[in-house]
Amino acid sequence: MKVLHQSQFFTSYQCDKKRCFFIAFPHKTIQLGFCQLLAFRQQVNKIDLETHFNGKNHHGMEMLMLCNRQHFFIFNTLESIDLKEFITGTFTMLELNSLLTTSA
Amino acid sequence: MKDLVRQKLSIHVDIMDLLNKQIEKEAHSSSAYLAMASWCDHNALSYSADFFYEQSLEEREHMMKIFRYINDNGGTAFSPEVNNINHDFKSLEEIFETALDQEISITKSIHNLVGKCRKLNDYTTEHFLQWFIQEQMEEEQTMRRALELFDLMGTDGLGLKLLDERIPQIREKRPE
Ligand SMILES: [Fe+2]
Ligand SMILES: [Fe+2]
Repeated sequence: MKVLHQSQFFTSYQCDKKRCFFIAFPHKTIQLGFCQLLAFRQQVNKIDLETHFNGKNHHGMEMLMLCNRQHFFIFNTLESIDLKEFITGTFTMLELNSLLTTSA
Repeated sequence: MKDLVRQKLSIHVDIMDLLNKQIEKEAHSSSAYLAMASWCDHNALSYSADFFYEQSLEEREHMMKIFRYINDNGGTAFSPEVNNINHDFKSLEEIFETALDQEISITKSIHNLVGKCRKLNDYTTEHFLQWFIQEQMEEEQTMRRALELFDLMGTDGLGLKLLDERIPQIREKRPE
């Protein structure tokens, strides 16, 4: 299993043998297929951080359900900011890996 | 490390995002045309109404083409949310002008997508989009033909009625 990207709170891994991905959250690690990773990315991209600062998101929490509702997560503002960076970083690493494998 | 992404997905992730955006635009077009059809219906312009009902259907087909393309290639297509549909128009001419503007902005968006495909070497999607380039050219021509009718015929009294009756013909391609 190889580390793809690590942010302040989260780490993503790729497992070549199982052909899947893992994400380590502070309290648990979950396994995701590629489609599930895409779905996760979509949900994170849809988080509107501005609402945390303009009072529209009163509690300052984001709730995400992952992998066909197997997992339920609640993130605070700091974690949400980190999550966005984390997803971008993870997909950048995946793209880099694609470039390396094509040119090889 | 294996290229798992490529194993699952034959299009670039950024392209997938843009295609999902395009789905939203086609859905928006479809709903916008439906609103125009309704206005025409209420104003007793039944040929124009039929034209826009048909146009709305076509836009939905465009949307579905992209939707299936994303999913067939291992991506995830997202069902679009549509909002901000305008139902207020002051004339049929304004409707066709709005329709032309809408088509032009879709053309630009498709061209932008093709540009991005070239940058990212996504030749598969570039090939897929060729159909849309042709389609957009024809759509713009259709709307322009409608606007030409307004220049030619005028819309006073009976003029508008006569013009409405000519609308089905704007779809027909000119003899080559
Ligand atoms: Fe279209
Ligand atoms: Fe169109």
